[in-house]
Amino acid sequence: MKHVVVVGSGASGVHFAQSALDNGWRVTLVDVGRTAPAAELPQASFAQLKREHPDPAGYFLGQRFEGALFPGGKGEYYGFPPHKGYIFAPLDGLALRSRGFDPLLSFARGGLAEAWTGGSFPFTPDELRDFPFEPERLVRYYGVIAGRIGVSGAVDDLARFLPGHEHLAPGLRLDAHSEVLLGAYERAKPRLNRELRCFVGRSRSAVRADEREERHGCTYLGRCLWSCPREALYTPSITLRALLRREGFTYIPDHVVTRVEADDANRVKRVHARHVANGAALELDAPRVAFAAGTLASSKLLLDSLLAHGGAAPTLTGLMDNRQVLVPFVNLALLRKRVELDSYQYHQLALGLERDDPRHYVHGLVTTLKSALIHPIVQSVPLDLASALWIFRNAHAALGLVNVNFHDERRESCSLSLETARDESSTLLVRYEPAAQEPERIRSTLRDVKRALRQLGCFAPPGMTHVRPMGASVHYAGVLPMQREGGDLTTTPHGESRALGGLYFVDGSTFPFLPAKNLTFTLMANAARIADEAFGR
Amino acid sequence: MKNSSDERRPAAPGPAAQAGAASHVDPLLERECDVFVRYLSGTAPSDYVRERYLAAHEAGVVEPRGGATGFERWIVRRASSATWLVRALDAHQRVFANGSLLRRKLVLLLALLEVRAPHAEALDTPTGSSRAAMLFVLAWLGVRFALTVLLTTLVLAPFQLAFKWEARA
Repeated sequence: MKHVVVVGSGASGVHFAQSALDNGWRVTLVDVGRTAPAAELPQASFAQLKREHPDPAGYFLGQRFEGALFPGGKGEYYGFPPHKGYIFAPLDGLALRSRGFDPLLSFARGGLAEAWTGGSFPFTPDELRDFPFEPERLVRYYGVIAGRIGVSGAVDDLARFLPGHEHLAPGLRLDAHSEVLLGAYERAKPRLNRELRCFVGRSRSAVRADEREERHGCTYLGRCLWSCPREALYTPSITLRALLRREGFTYIPDHVVTRVEADDANRVKRVHARHVANGAALELDAPRVAFAAGTLASSKLLLDSLLAHGGAAPTLTGLMDNRQVLVPFVNLALLRKRVELDSYQYHQLALGLERDDPRHYVHGLVTTLKSALIHPIVQSVPLDLASALWIFRNAHAALGLVNVNFHDERRESCSLSLETARDESSTLLVRYEPAAQEPERIRSTLRDVKRALRQLGCFAPPGMTHVRPMGASVHYAGVLPMQREGGDLTTTPHGESRALGGLYFVDGSTFPFLPAKNLTFTLMANAARIADEAFGR
Repeated sequence: MKNSSDERRPAAPGPAAQAGAASHVDPLLERECDVFVRYLSGTAPSDYVRERYLAAHEAGVVEPRGGATGFERWIVRRASSATWLVRALDAHQRVFANGSLLRRKLVLLLALLEVRAPHAEALDTPTGSSRAAMLFVLAWLGVRFALTVLLTTLVLAPFQLAFKWEARA
């Protein structure tokens, strides 16, 4: 039986592994694999947690109050649940420095997508233009992945930007605010479409309404941000759990891969790892290795491997990420209404802005504010706290947020490189410089978004728009682009490294272009495609 | 006065209480907790909120990075004497020192109130006024805030200068 070692259990790793197993390969997955704490009061809704949890401050704010956001911070509008802290907890020995970029890594089972909001947006043929294969070769895998993870949504006005695919289930029940917004869109549609080229429709989410296998359907507990206790919202650790029961699959947790070793013909032959707690070395013979540790970690592994193999680590250029801008808004029709806590919490609607170049499409995730913590928002109102609280009580049901995503392109000035110390340890240097035209692009887009919101009966309070730092979206890609032909620092259309044969990159490292969309759905589809095309029967 | 709902359900002891921290309760902290919660919610804090407030201070998460200045501590002491003073000083600090000790303490209490019923439910309940009344109140809140900031700036300026002078000396 042919054997492949997979590094990382994130969205790409588990779907690559699943397809490789389906194709008869033996798969060994090496992973740090930090585990999630057990769900607390799994049947309780968000409101019930506040009534019934014995220590709600411990649950919502953390025992060390790490979930409390104090004034003067970075300006994010929500606190991160403390029990999700394991997802972003750093790893000793993995050093990283950055300029112009706030990098995030994960060493959790399931990786960064354990904290995603489920956005499953297929790329259009225009957006796949730089990918070195016919778009159809990838597009059919959107259906494969949707069948595995469960994607809900609708083929509506946004279909011009979000093509339909197989296994697209009907969307969840809309929350009251989203329904009001969609109704307003229907009335304002002719003007919005014509004047702003703005389209609104149902978002696409990896969330199930129906029961299947071990996963329950969404029952609108309002705990999406707090980790869905019913697993209606898909995360890769669900797939990993299923893989653990399959023949031919070996999972090696608690190990961090440090490099791969190559033979004289520059083909990988061995994987080197160490135990995260005791440092014990582990070596695995492997003629084929698939890196799925995420763009930053996979790149560092390649650079460390090249350094050990040839004595020099080059600079990888073309790092991409989606710039995100948060635009809070108030829906005037919902002022003084009671907020609906028992509802799906993440984006149920999306807003698309068409641009002259279809690759410059702007995607907005429309989230109506329901069961996030309120203190980060109340403190940002420019009044004393008691007055701000009075306003918030009357405006809670009317609040929403558009998370505006911008596309990114590969540029020489955005790079990853290694800095080595005398003790042979290495530090990954991340450099990012935004495109020169970015400020103007953001300005003109926000003008359109705010005009669109006005047409929908909403207004964006001045001074509250927040440009997130680069790196915050965690949609990293692009440093080892797939190309039909290219140099050592490129990969084949199957993601195989041209520097080290037998080494495959099945994560975002190989994307040659990043549209304004969460790339996770495409990561999974591409990983399954590579497994079928390069790891067939 | 205790919150009626919490009377029925004893507060779970947090880590600080479990470690016996409650035996070293600072009466000044308890007092400011009481006054600040009344300012934010119009009710007294439950035992649970009070205990968690003290635990947060024990854990050292309330102090601003680099430590609070003498002026900030003085502001907190003054604020803890009456709810109307909290409002006035909160308005001043919102404009001139948003990340100050008083603001951090108030935001911490807001975070504690919002995670525990019945405070949480009250914070999510609209006041029930008509749209016209709401607009009127909004305008009044804005005007009152501006006037408060103006007045407190004038009153506090000599004290602020004195603290600066003392710090330099």
